[in-house]
Amino acid sequence: MVIVKRKQLTLGERLYLPEIVRGLSITVRKMFAKRATRQYPEEPLVTTAVTRGQPRLAMNPDQTLRCVSCGMCEAACPAYAITIDAHEVEREIEREPEHFEIDMLRCILCGFCEEACPKEAIWMSDELELADYTRASLVYKLDRLVRPVSQLQGRIDYIEEINRRWNN
Amino acid sequence: MTVLLATLLKVLVIFGCLISAAGISTLAERKISAWIQLRRGPNRVGPFGLLQPLADGIKFMFKEEFVPPGKSRFLFILAPALAAVPAMMSVAVIPFTGRIAEIDGTPILGSVADLDMGAIFIMAVSGLGVYGIILGGWASNSKYPLLGGLRAAAQMISYELSMILIILAIVAMSGTLNLREIADAQNDHTLLGFLPAWNVFLQPLAFVLFVICTFAETNRHPFDFAECESELVGGFHTEYSSMKFALFFIGEYCAMIVMACLTTTLFLGGASVPFWAEAPWFIGLGSFVFKAAAFMFLFIWVRWSLPRFRYDQLMALGWKVFLPLAITNIFITGLVLAL
Amino acid sequence: MTRIRLNGKEIDADKDRPLIAAALANGVDVPHYCYHSGLTPVGSCRMCQVEVTEGERPARVVAACRTPVSEGMQVETQTPAAQAARRECLEFLLKNHPLDCAICDKAGECQLQDYTYAEGQSEGLSAEPRRKLDKRRSLGEVILLDQERCILCSRCVRFFEEVEGQAQLTIAGRGANSTIQTFAGRDLSGNYQGNVADLCPVGALTLKSFRFQARVWNLTKRASTCGECSRGCAISVEVLRQGQVKRIRPRYEALVNRWWMCDTGRFAFEGATLSGRLEGAQLRGYSGLEDCSTSEALAAVATGFAVHTNHVFIASPWLTVEEGRDLVELAQAVGAVLRMVSPEESGLADKILNTGDPCPNRRGLADVGIESASAPECLQLCTGAETATLVGERVVNLVGREALSEHDGKSRLFVFDTQALDAARVAVQVGVASWVERSGTWVNADGHESPIAAARSAPAGVCGTQGLLDDLRALVATCAPGSVSR
Repeated sequence: MVIVKRKQLTLGERLYLPEIVRGLSITVRKMFAKRATRQYPEEPLVTTAVTRGQPRLAMNPDQTLRCVSCGMCEAACPAYAITIDAHEVEREIEREPEHFEIDMLRCILCGFCEEACPKEAIWMSDELELADYTRASLVYKLDRLVRPVSQLQGRIDYIEEINRRWNN
Repeated sequence: MTVLLATLLKVLVIFGCLISAAGISTLAERKISAWIQLRRGPNRVGPFGLLQPLADGIKFMFKEEFVPPGKSRFLFILAPALAAVPAMMSVAVIPFTGRIAEIDGTPILGSVADLDMGAIFIMAVSGLGVYGIILGGWASNSKYPLLGGLRAAAQMISYELSMILIILAIVAMSGTLNLREIADAQNDHTLLGFLPAWNVFLQPLAFVLFVICTFAETNRHPFDFAECESELVGGFHTEYSSMKFALFFIGEYCAMIVMACLTTTLFLGGASVPFWAEAPWFIGLGSFVFKAAAFMFLFIWVRWSLPRFRYDQLMALGWKVFLPLAITNIFITGLVLAL
Repeated sequence: MTRIRLNGKEIDADKDRPLIAAALANGVDVPHYCYHSGLTPVGSCRMCQVEVTEGERPARVVAACRTPVSEGMQVETQTPAAQAARRECLEFLLKNHPLDCAICDKAGECQLQDYTYAEGQSEGLSAEPRRKLDKRRSLGEVILLDQERCILCSRCVRFFEEVEGQAQLTIAGRGANSTIQTFAGRDLSGNYQGNVADLCPVGALTLKSFRFQARVWNLTKRASTCGECSRGCAISVEVLRQGQVKRIRPRYEALVNRWWMCDTGRFAFEGATLSGRLEGAQLRGYSGLEDCSTSEALAAVATGFAVHTNHVFIASPWLTVEEGRDLVELAQAVGAVLRMVSPEESGLADKILNTGDPCPNRRGLADVGIESASAPECLQLCTGAETATLVGERVVNLVGREALSEHDGKSRLFVFDTQALDAARVAVQVGVASWVERSGTWVNADGHESPIAAARSAPAGVCGTQGLLDDLRALVATCAPGSVSR
């Protein structure tokens, strides 16, 4: 059996009013403290290389996709968000995605696709905003997924650094 | 005739100001709560969110009207009016400022009605507000509103008693029931040469008791057992929607304003400005509004600082502490006056 | 039978077969590329090396595909010596392999991939650059050769020599420049080219029609039977995302096709696409054929049977045995003449698999009592009767689409086909499921029963033939002749 020993209240505490005044003084001080909220649309979220935003496909400076539609991300995706159809192109790496769809409503931003990709083609970008009026428009196709490598460089460098540390 | 017109004008101005003040109070409530919680509060509608009450009003008008079946539809609709109207009526006797002008030998005073028994009027009328709440609770045909209504009734009766006894002490000191004269009586001399002779200094115990009673009387935190979101889902207005709900809200805030004004009149010398007996009427009005606003701030400040009481604690406090203290206060006042 | 000891277990082995066959038959996986049960072992890849001890002689590492079984031999597949031999051999095979698995269509079912994971090492020792060869060499209409990926196992060379009977491929060049080539750069020919894509243990020989179509692990595979000739080869129908048949591959079936199938059957799925399908039912109204529900269409057919006399049923040879039985019962209930339309020889007959008879279930339908009739005979029956009911996929085409459209006889046509027939005499038509969407049994020319299985779901509004026949029989029973006034 546990016996809880109640603390004997002092007269001031039993009178209650001094304690109320103490409480009020705390709240009034908080009124002038620094605000915790951020004004979201005006003040965008601060993202860093660690930010695991929506997956995006990297495009080389010569306007070719890095993706060869090998299907590794599709297989790794735990939410079945990715669908890829390949086609043949006339260049040294002859395979390219014809359709590359990520259902952003299914995507859970886990980053497995980024990890699975053997071609360093899919990266978790710092893009976080996701809002639209229809479900269909949130199934992102190639036109909304492709980004120049330069835009993803921060993340690429970060992952390389992590891998280097992991391997040593 | 001109006197009548001036009175009519005063009615319109004071009523308009009261409603606007209620609206501004809701904004203040949200803003201050936000500041206390390190948030920013409404700031999207108009500069600093100043148009938020307007937006809320428009939103309320477009909300669905819902009347629960099973009980009297008439009483259900009547209840919010009964809650709001007494609060608005009681503002009539508040002396907002001193003499404004004189027409044909009749002074135009700072209140709508300069009743000789203003103190009794205000207690009588504001006491009616409980009917709206208990009626709304009953007509909702739902258990939580009924509980909220019953609690409100019991609570108001308990605390009104103490409150009246406190006012009695003030009345005894001033020797009049006229609120204007009570206010003026605090300004005819000074204490110890530097303090204005306000009742807050003469009757500090009564002041503290009275302020606490106003919280209970207006169903404000920490005594908001009529609403009680965590236990009663919202209490008496659970089933209310649209403008009927808004009317309850306006009534609540009007009651708060009236209580703030009453406290100012009874304890803080009304419209007087310390050490400036000859202040013009608009300075007096500013002084009054400032004092009342301070009390409004206190209402809001306390709400976001203190936890709610338990219901039995509330009743014990009312009957076992406040009532004896109020009676003691009367005896002491009487004794001092008799000496 | 010979007793040998395999990984410490006594097993019986066939003396005429190589050691690897005994191991594989007993569930011991010996890595191999060039060995194939259907082809002569040549021992070119050296991947099947195992450690063998015979009698008093010291243990030695031998290629299991070129070692005959002998009494009392002791075989160990996982000794350090055998593993090292295989690992080193694998490194040589991978020396010039491009490792473009991300692009390769074979990835996922590639033996080189599998055994490299199981037996190989993660890094090669060679610092030399990989050789550069032609990655996109066309070998005719069916096959594409990637010379870089080839490991020169010579399965494809042996397939043409031994199975098809005419050599078409050879290994040309020497050393690192050896490549698979056709004679004089000619294209491959014959009806069995597709098999080399299945045989190839790596992604060197691939089907052009499957190039970059799907990753193999995304394909749903369903065992079924080929419907392009009366041989009835065992096949696996491979479907992507529940709707698209991406390829058909042979399944091993000792009594029918063993490992092979012809290209006619292999690429038949291109005709089994979803386009041009009759979805739902249509009923002749005032403004021509109007869409209606299947039950309304069947009710109209049943009423037609009751109102008219002199009925003819024409069955498609693609019907299953079960559907054939139902049709026979229905024909008896209605009192109709029932024939199976028998198309002409396809002219594709060869000595290997193709019988030249394009009816996959002729034997099965004949067994349940449906007589065959040629297309002109069927047409004559149709035009002569008051109602003609055509049941099963392709039946309209087999009887003659043109002739049925143009015929000016009195008969009303009730059509149950996969494709719509737009003809004035069509009274009712209902879309039915094709053979990749139905389940049942076919009987091949030799009397071998084999199942067909629904590999994908039929389009919306399309029912299986058997369900339709069941419903129709129930309707016919309720409105017997005479119950409806003429």
